[in-house]
Order: sequence, then structure tokens, then C-alpha cells
Amino acid sequence: MQSEQIDTKYYSAITEAIRAEARRILSDGTVTALIGYAAGRRKGAVQPIVISAAEDSDKLLFSAASVNNLVVYLTKAKKDVPKSGRIGIVVKSCDLKALVGLLGESQLKREQLYLIGVPCSGVLASVMQPDQQLTTTTIAAKCTECSELIPPGCDFVPTAEPLATPALEQRYAAEIARLEAMTPAERWEYWKEQFSKCIKCYACRQVCPFCFCEQCLCDRNRPQMVEQTPRPSGNTAWHLVRAMHLAGRCAGCAECERVCPMDIPLNLLNRKMAKELKELFGSEAGFTVQDKGPLNSYDEHDDQSFIR
Amino acid sequence: MQKQITEANLRLLLDSLLFKGQRVVGPRRTAKTVLYEPLASASELVMDELPRRSVKEAFFPVCEDLLEYRKQGQQVVLDNITPDRFPETVLIGVRPCDAAAIPVLDAVFSWDYQDQFFLERRKKTTIIGLACTQADDACFCSAVGLAPNDPKGADLMLTPLQGGGFLVASQSEKGEAFLTSWQDRFTEPDGTATQPLAALEPKPLDLKKIKSWLDDHFEDAAWDSIAVRCVGCGACAFVCPACHCFDIIDEGTEKAGKRRKFWDACGFWKFTHHASGHNPRDLQPKRYRNRIMHKFKYYDDKFGQTLCTGCGRCIRVCPVGIDIAGVLEEIQEKE
Amino acid sequence: MCDHNKNIYLPYLATVEEVIDETPDVRTLRLVFQDEQVRENFTFRAGQFAEYSAFGAGESTFCIASSPTRKGYIECCFRAVGRVTESLRRLEVGDTMGVRGPYGNSFPIEQFYGKNLLFVTGGIALPPLRTLIWNCLDLRDKFGGITIVYGARTEADLVYKRELKEWEERSDVKLVKTVDPGGNGPEWDGKVGFVPTVLDELAPAAENTIALVCGPPIMIKFTLPVLEKLGFGDEEIYTTLENRMKCGLGKCGRCNVGNIYVCKDGPVFTAKQVKAMPLEY
Repeated sequence: MQSEQIDTKYYSAITEAIRAEARRILSDGTVTALIGYAAGRRKGAVQPIVISAAEDSDKLLFSAASVNNLVVYLTKAKKDVPKSGRIGIVVKSCDLKALVGLLGESQLKREQLYLIGVPCSGVLASVMQPDQQLTTTTIAAKCTECSELIPPGCDFVPTAEPLATPALEQRYAAEIARLEAMTPAERWEYWKEQFSKCIKCYACRQVCPFCFCEQCLCDRNRPQMVEQTPRPSGNTAWHLVRAMHLAGRCAGCAECERVCPMDIPLNLLNRKMAKELKELFGSEAGFTVQDKGPLNSYDEHDDQSFIR
Repeated sequence: MQKQITEANLRLLLDSLLFKGQRVVGPRRTAKTVLYEPLASASELVMDELPRRSVKEAFFPVCEDLLEYRKQGQQVVLDNITPDRFPETVLIGVRPCDAAAIPVLDAVFSWDYQDQFFLERRKKTTIIGLACTQADDACFCSAVGLAPNDPKGADLMLTPLQGGGFLVASQSEKGEAFLTSWQDRFTEPDGTATQPLAALEPKPLDLKKIKSWLDDHFEDAAWDSIAVRCVGCGACAFVCPACHCFDIIDEGTEKAGKRRKFWDACGFWKFTHHASGHNPRDLQPKRYRNRIMHKFKYYDDKFGQTLCTGCGRCIRVCPVGIDIAGVLEEIQEKE
Repeated sequence: MCDHNKNIYLPYLATVEEVIDETPDVRTLRLVFQDEQVRENFTFRAGQFAEYSAFGAGESTFCIASSPTRKGYIECCFRAVGRVTESLRRLEVGDTMGVRGPYGNSFPIEQFYGKNLLFVTGGIALPPLRTLIWNCLDLRDKFGGITIVYGARTEADLVYKRELKEWEERSDVKLVKTVDPGGNGPEWDGKVGFVPTVLDELAPAAENTIALVCGPPIMIKFTLPVLEKLGFGDEEIYTTLENRMKCGLGKCGRCNVGNIYVCKDGPVFTAKQVKAMPLEY
């Protein structure tokens, strides 16, 4: 497949707009701090930053390397991020879906947030080598399935039209179809190989906005629910437990998959769960706050076909 | 002793080793990712990509059994898992940033108590290093006193030659012995120039200056600003050639099971958490501070060495782009 | 001693010979090594610790609470607060557990010869000093006056109740026991007040005296200033530090306070050394 470049020149206009807005809301006290993206040392590298002084606004930027879901810094798991007063945060649509999920779980209060939404044409799948062009090959798989390029319901969105991106094959859908076509034995072999690579670094858990439990179930030892050591059976249990705990909540930001140092396709599991929940209960992560997720509410008319 | 070998002959040599039943470990591609793994054939050897994890796991595995226990009534029977059974291994294609960390780890694994799980593997392994002709801007081995062709830690050093093939230089008795026992596979060096080595960007760091700042700045606002983005995973520690912290756990039932040791990281909140609930490093900046302090101060205080070889892996895998070379540059700029 | 050189993580097997409930939640286990060689050759110094295994649950770190002068057995004393200690608490006489050690440094007892000793401790912090107390009492004529100030929240929380009685009855030991205000029962014959306060009132002389302090951080925090006021120098005050440990022998990287490894450079430290440490313990 020919790799096409994706035009992200307008990202520099977005950068200017974010800087101006940040300067404004920090100077006039609308927010006490702002979580955004800033340059790293390496060429093209981007890292999350928390600023509280208006003069630091020029450090902010947006580029195809702005891959992080900054919403994780708003959760109670991140105690070091200042939480007093109203906090500004830069969000892409995928990040916003996670934020909306957290609002529904009463983890965040909308009035304590100032959302700067970014009209996004896509970000890189991996920033191990951050100095890359955004192309149809280097773009993140999640972006190939993104339906809402401009995050709705934000307090500020730079006026910019994301340019029409080349038609992209929906990669997760294709991969899920490929796995669904396998026999159970083949699929088990596939996942066994993937999970045997896991080294229990928990990067997947630590970047996930929905893994905000102050003590993860798997970090407890009374009882020890899941084997702690990085061995195939414990790894499998870990990833299945996490997929189940995320079912109905995961917003598909795919950060887990991006950050896995062993290239395990973690978001596949979550997308498959999301697909099941859509089919069974008509539920999916979106931009409307829902009080009750599909797995923590019961309705008599729920699909029961899986009970055999 | 210096010799020369073509790439084809090197692969033939490796196949001969394998044919003889010799265990050979080198960079190998497994489902997209390159790791140091046992090779089934020389064709699997990857020589143009840095493995995602370091070579430390050839001596300090991700997880290993220490003993087995079995309860018989009120008695317990222990099956002592001793390291005698580790096989002889040839490690091939080991980059300088990986090989150099192994002698650094020798210090802690033989500090008064000899950890034979590590040391026995050391005895039984021959390390064949490979100099680097490529680097990215995460590499900073030259900033911490190493170089793309530094032979530190290697028994034999391979340097790529113009037009293909390698210059082979022995660095130790083990290396000499290897060259001697396989001498018919090597030729005398014919004067071919070596390929230009990788040109690294970061300037050398003044590790002494950095250490003296660390000596006096345990408490400093810098830790908060650097570590505010750290999410507390173990990716950096696990891919690092020098990080060596571990945990010990019993797995099984009360009746029978194994005691294992496995990788742990000071970035995890649980690392220093007491059963009472007290945690001396309760916030992420304190945990991140420990990482930098251990690598660039404590290990020097205790063993006179730096616990970092500039491989850049932590920079590449960090979920939130924390750049240790950048942190060091920032510290160096202070005062 | 058995040659455990091939596997430094391998524990010695020991049989639980006696189980003593010191308080409702603190237990002492008296252990006898199963291997005859180990039984005969196991030596340690007061202040050292060991890693005690409850097979299936894991290992936990406690001091060796018995005195090195008493041969044939060792003791550990612990409160059940976590998975391993809960498992240890379920052990009965005749059960087998594991012991790895001795690890760490120890009280430099030879440097205390000819001096007076002042022990100040509270609650479950008595065991790390009790080993030294008996060590000194078993070599009584090497030391000057021995004073013990020991307190707990309530009477029931006092550890080694039998031995407190023994110490009270000896004429060559001065024991001042206390409970926190409100912790005294109707027949309590000791003092009532926090340990630092009682120490302050007692005002023992600092001259030619070594102070040995062990207790929860809050007690140490208020005791050190009292000792300073009484004229104790930083190098005449000893304490033991606790920290989360696993290997106990300097490799797993978990117990460090700054560049000090509690398992290798400690757990016994002088107040001078503790003051030089960064605040991460």
C-alpha cells in the first residue's frame, strides 16, 4: 500500500492558538494551571507539561507527536499534579472521550476543567522516533477509526478545519475480523505469544485514565488474585483482568498499546470488548456524559444470549 | 589478538556453534520486536537494530526460580535450585551500551554476598560485542564516558569493515580462547578500513559536576517539575541495561510452590511501601529522584561507577517522553 | 554453618519450638534450626536481623530478638500486619519455617564496655533492644548502670511481660515502665505518661552513658531532643532503622535511604548518622 503523507501544516496554527488562549486564561485567573504538550530534547519530541505561569505559555505546542492522553493527569491516581482551582487541559477527541467517561464515573467535575479541544488529523502511532512525518503508514491505528476530528463541547477550540485526510482502512476492525476468523486454538496461540512478551512494567495501566484505583487489585497480596511474576499464565490473567475492568469504560485512546515496550497489541482486546458491548447493549464511549455504564447497570431487557 | 571475518563466515561460525549444541544468544526478531534471545539458526541474527531490552537478562532474567518448597505434614522439604545448571553461552551482537553495563553490575551482585545466579552465568558466557555505525538522538553513550566502539565488558569486539565483514579483536582470555579454538574461521586483518562509527549528538556530560549537584540537592523543586509527568510504570527500569532491582515472592499454594525473583522498579509506588501503610517515597517526584540519585550518585558512592551506559532505551520507551539525557543536561546547567 | 554459598537466597529450616503471645497482636516464635551443623555454628551479634519465611506466603524482615549469648535457639517477635506475618501467626509448635541470616551490622557492644547503658523504647520496638539487653545482662560486670525506660499504649500492649518482671526484680537493672495516659489498668504499678515525658522526668545522667533508642517515628522525634537536653552527644545515641526489605543482603535495591543501604550499612545507626540521612525512611 502506497504511503501517503497527511497534511499537518495547520498544526502550527493550532500551536499559536493554544499559546494565546493559555496566556489569556492563566493571566486572567480562569485557570490556576494548564496541562498541555511541550517540546522535548530530541528533535520532534513532545512531552506533557504542567504550567501555571502565563509566561510559560510559549512552551506549549501541538504536533503529530502530541500522542499523550493528558487526561490521566486529572485522575486521583496522579496526586502530584496540582488540583486546586480550575485546571486547563489540551484534549484531542480520543482524549475527550476518556474525560467524558471519567465525568460519568464522578471522578471529575466539568466546572473545574477548562477544555481546549484540538481539531486533529491524527497523531503518530509511536514516538520512539519522534522526528517523523505523519503518513498513512505512521499514523496511529486509532486515528483510522476516528469519527469526530473536532472534539465537541470544549471551552475553546482553535478555528481550523482539519484537512480531508486520505481514506484510511479501519485497522482495528480489520485486525479484529482477522482474529475472529481464527479457530479458538489459533487465537489462543496468537495471544499466548503476545502475552509471553509481557514484562509486567504496568506502563499500560499507569497511562490509562480509567486505571485510577489507588491500589490496583493486582497490587494487593491478600489475596493475591493474579500472579505477580512476568510469566505467561500471570501475564494472561493480568491482561484479561484489565480488559474486563475496562469493558464499557475504555474510550479507545490506545495509549496502552502505544506505551507497551514489548509491542503487545493491547488495544485490540479493548476494541473487541467495545465491539461486544455495542452489539449486546448498544453502548459505546462517546461525548455525552452517562451516569451508568453498561456493566454497572441492569435492565430487564438486556441481551442475555451469552448465557447458554 | 586481531582477526578478520566476513559476515557470511561469521554466520557459518554461529551455525557451527549451534550444530555442536552450543547455546548462542543474540538480537533476534520476535513478532516485530528485536530482543536478545537464543538463536535457532544464524540467519535469525539481527545486526542492524538495537534490541528493545538490554542484554542484562542473559545474566539477570526477568523472572527465575530460587527454590521449590513442599510441605509434608509439619515438615518442609526444599529443593535447592542452584546455578550449576546454567549452560555455556555465546552472546553475539552485543552493543557497547549493553556490554559495558555487565561489569558495572558485577559490583552489586558480588557485594559481600555472591549472587551465583548472576555470577555463574557470567562465568559461563562469552560476550561478543558489536560496534555501532548508526545511532539516533536518544543514544548518549559518548556523553557518559563510553563510545560506539568501546569494548568494555566484551570478550571479543567486532567492528564493521568497509564493504562488509568485521575486524575481530579479543579483549580477554575468554576472547583469546574463542579465537584460538575457531582460528580456521578467521583470517588475518588485511588492512581494510573500518566503517565510520556512529556520530552521536549529545556532548559529553560532566558526571562529576552532576554528582556534586545531586550530593547537595536531595530536596529541590526541580524534582517536582521533572517528575510531574512520570506516571510510575517500570518501563525505564526494565529496558535499562544497568537497573537491577528485584522482588522475591512465593508462588504456589501453602502446600507446594516456588520462590521466585523477578524484576522490580523504584518507580512503582509499591516499591518502598511498608505493610503498616507508611511509604517513605509516597509521591512520584521522590521515586523519580531515587532513580537519578541511584544511577548518578549512590552507585558511585558505593562502587565508584555510574549506573548508566547511555543506551537511550528509557528515553525511547518512556510513555511520557521523560528524557534522562535532557534531565542530566538540565542538572549540569544549574549553578 | 551450612554452605549456602551456591544459593544465597536459600533459607535454613527451623522448627517452631514455642509460641508466645506477647500481646493480643504481637507474637514471639522460638525457633530451633533443623540442621545440626547450623544449630551448632549459627552465630550472630545483637542488632542483626534475619529474613523469616512462611513458605507459600514469603519472607519478612525482623531483628533476631534473642541474645547471641543464649545458644540452641533464636527468637523473632512480630505483629501480624500483612500477608507474611499473618501466615507466620498461623504457625504452630512443630511447624517448619525458614530463616536467612544473620544480616546487617550490629551494636558495637565492645565499645560500650565500662559505660552505663540507657535503653529507651516503646511498644513493639522493644525486641531489637531486648537482644542487646540480655546480651549485656549476660555479661553484666562489663557494664556500669543499666536503665530501661519502656512504655506502650496500654498495659496489654507491653511486650515481654515476663521479662519486664524479671528486670524489675533484679537489683542490677533499673526498669521504668510506663503506659500512655488512659492505658493503665486498676493494678498498674508503673508510670503513666508518654515515653519521652517519662524520660525527661527521670533525667538520667549522660556522663559515660550510651543511649539506645528504638521506637515508632513519633517517639523518636520527641525522645531525641530530650536526650540532647540531657547532654547526650549524637554519637552516644544509637538506634535501629526499619525499612521495606526483600533480599536483606544489598542487591534488590529497595531499602536504601539516600546512599545508605539499611540492610548493609544498618540497621544499627548512631543519631549522627541518622541526622545525615535524607528524609526517606
